[in-house]
Order: sequence, then structure tokens, then C-alpha cells
Amino acid sequence: MSKLVEIEVLEKDDKNMRLLIRGVDVPYMNALRRTVIAEVPCMAIDEIVVIENSSTFQDEVIAHRLGLIPLKTDLEGYNLPEECPCKSEFGCNLCRVTLALDVESKEKTRTVYSGELESENPSIIPVSDTIPIIKLAKEQKLKLEAYARLGKGKNHAKWQPVSMCTHKYFPKIEISCKKCDGCGKCVEICPRKVLAKTGNRIEIRDLMACTLCQDCVETCPQNPPAVKITWEENAFIFALESTCVLSPEKIMTEAIKILDGQLKDLERQIKVKKSEKD
Amino acid sequence: MIIPVRCFTCGKLIGDKWEEFANRVKAGEKAGDVLDNLGIKRYCCRRMLLSHVEIIDEILRFYEEAEKRKEARPY
Repeated sequence: MSKLVEIEVLEKDDKNMRLLIRGVDVPYMNALRRTVIAEVPCMAIDEIVVIENSSTFQDEVIAHRLGLIPLKTDLEGYNLPEECPCKSEFGCNLCRVTLALDVESKEKTRTVYSGELESENPSIIPVSDTIPIIKLAKEQKLKLEAYARLGKGKNHAKWQPVSMCTHKYFPKIEISCKKCDGCGKCVEICPRKVLAKTGNRIEIRDLMACTLCQDCVETCPQNPPAVKITWEENAFIFALESTCVLSPEKIMTEAIKILDGQLKDLERQIKVKKSEKD
Repeated sequence: MIIPVRCFTCGKLIGDKWEEFANRVKAGEKAGDVLDNLGIKRYCCRRMLLSHVEIIDEILRFYEEAEKRKEARPY
């Protein structure tokens, strides 16, 4: 890829990000998408020690629910357990965070929320304080200690930093003024309302929304059709929705860093193999 | 039993939105409008809340009843 890569931010808030990327090919886009999903690490509860549980749920069910709670992640402050210098099965304070939960229902039935988890590190906390963990009737108790670790999406979906990561082609719509008689059938059939009719002419209202479904082409009474849907070479719309464990731009930069590292690693291995042959 | 923490399909966090959803729908709002309002766009996440039944409330009633009887016992 010698061409310059152009990136334009179409939309961005604390959770979602949509980018228009020009100058890359399909394999790179797909590699980036897969890296975001499977390789960018984030924090999740991995093991729990149950001290007391008199609730209606089994320990395993509670463990599973706790594991799925997204935790705000600090990638700089913690190591992946397999890369941590401590080499310990139990982890050290560089690769593990302990969270404690000690709840009891004294008066009447109540819900236990994720906000009641007490973390040893105040920056590693659930992204939302109002996720119900369990409901306890009077006299029921739950006391446990949970250990959160960094992990990757390829090992378990709870370590996925995104709930959606997609790329699609950048659409290109051509309407031939000569052939089009302005019947408006393509405007009616479009499920995403991409086209609009002004007077006797069909105009593009929202190009980005086009899904390349070709319905407008099929419905056009002209032969050959007056509207043509194609896509631009090497231009993509990349959309990402974070689970709030990391900011979308942090996920992106981290993914590019990881992908770069993997490519360098591959190159090195190829060179080693070549030199073995000689 | 209890509302799942995440959407089964995409992994979006939905557990924290259940109580608001349930209360607003009970108050008479249209379920679809509430979902739009909560920012739940995809149909995989929407069905998580739409089709959920909080069975744990029914189960906990047995425990509440047992507790009441224990208290009512004279000895």
C-alpha cells in the first residue's frame, strides 16, 4: 500500500464512531475489523470465589453474569496475564484486579446492582452502576470475591471491546438524466430512503445510507435502467460501537498497533524461514 | 429468569436498561418508542427487552411467603 490513506470522521460520540476510509483494500479493512473484535484486550471478571451464597441462583450463574459486566479498562496500567512478568497462575497486582461483593437483604426483597461491587482499583469499575446482578429475598445473602483480568475477544466474548464493528463499501449512484422519465418508482421502493424526487428529477438524498441492495435498479421501467448502483474502489465506511470499556478512538488506535505488530512478526518469521533454506 | 446482562447476539449492554423499559411500558408508553429512546437500535437487542419475562419475581414470592409464615409462628 503505497497510496496515502485518507480517513474522515463521519460521526463520533463516547460510544459510536463512523469513519470514511479511502486508499485501503478489502483484506486490510477485514483484518482491521477482525483485530478490533478478537485481539484488542479489555477487562472482565474471570474467576470468582464464593464465600456465601444463599440466593436462588447457583454460583455458576452468578459467575457468568458477573463475567459479562463490562469493566472500564486501563490498558497502560495492566498486563495480559500470559505476558505478565509474574508468571503466576493467580496473577499479581499488575495483571489482576480484585472486586468484592457482600450483600444481604435485611428487610424485603431487593435487587443487587453492579454499583455495589467494590473494586480495589477505583478506575476499574463497571461501566454502568445499574446492571442488576441478582435479586435477593429477605434473609438471603451473597458474599464473594471476583478477579478481573485482561483478555481477548478470541477467547471469550466478554473480552470483546465492541458490540458492533462493521465495514461496508462506499456507494456510488449514477442517475442518467437522459433515460430517466421521473416516474419515482425507485424512490418508493428504496428501504433506506436514499433517493428523493424533486420535480421531474430523481436526486440523491442520503448517499451513505445506501446498502447497495439494487432494488431501485430492478424496479426501474427503463431498459437499460436509468439508475446504476456501484461502489467506489478502495473506499469504506467503517462503523464501530464500543461497550464503553474503552473509547472508540482508543480501540481503533490499539487495533492498528496490534495489527502492525502481527504483520511485523509474520515478516520476521518469513525471513527466518528463508535464511534457514539458504 | 432475570434480565441478561448483554444481548445474546451482539453483546451490547442491555441489563441496565430493563428497569426503565419495564416501568415506562407499564406506565402506558409504546414499547417501540421506549426502545428508540433508550438508544437500542438493532433488532437483536430490541428482542432481548421485548421478549423478557422477569420470572425471578415469581420465584422470590415463595421465599417472601415462607418468611411471613415463619414470623407468624408463635413458637
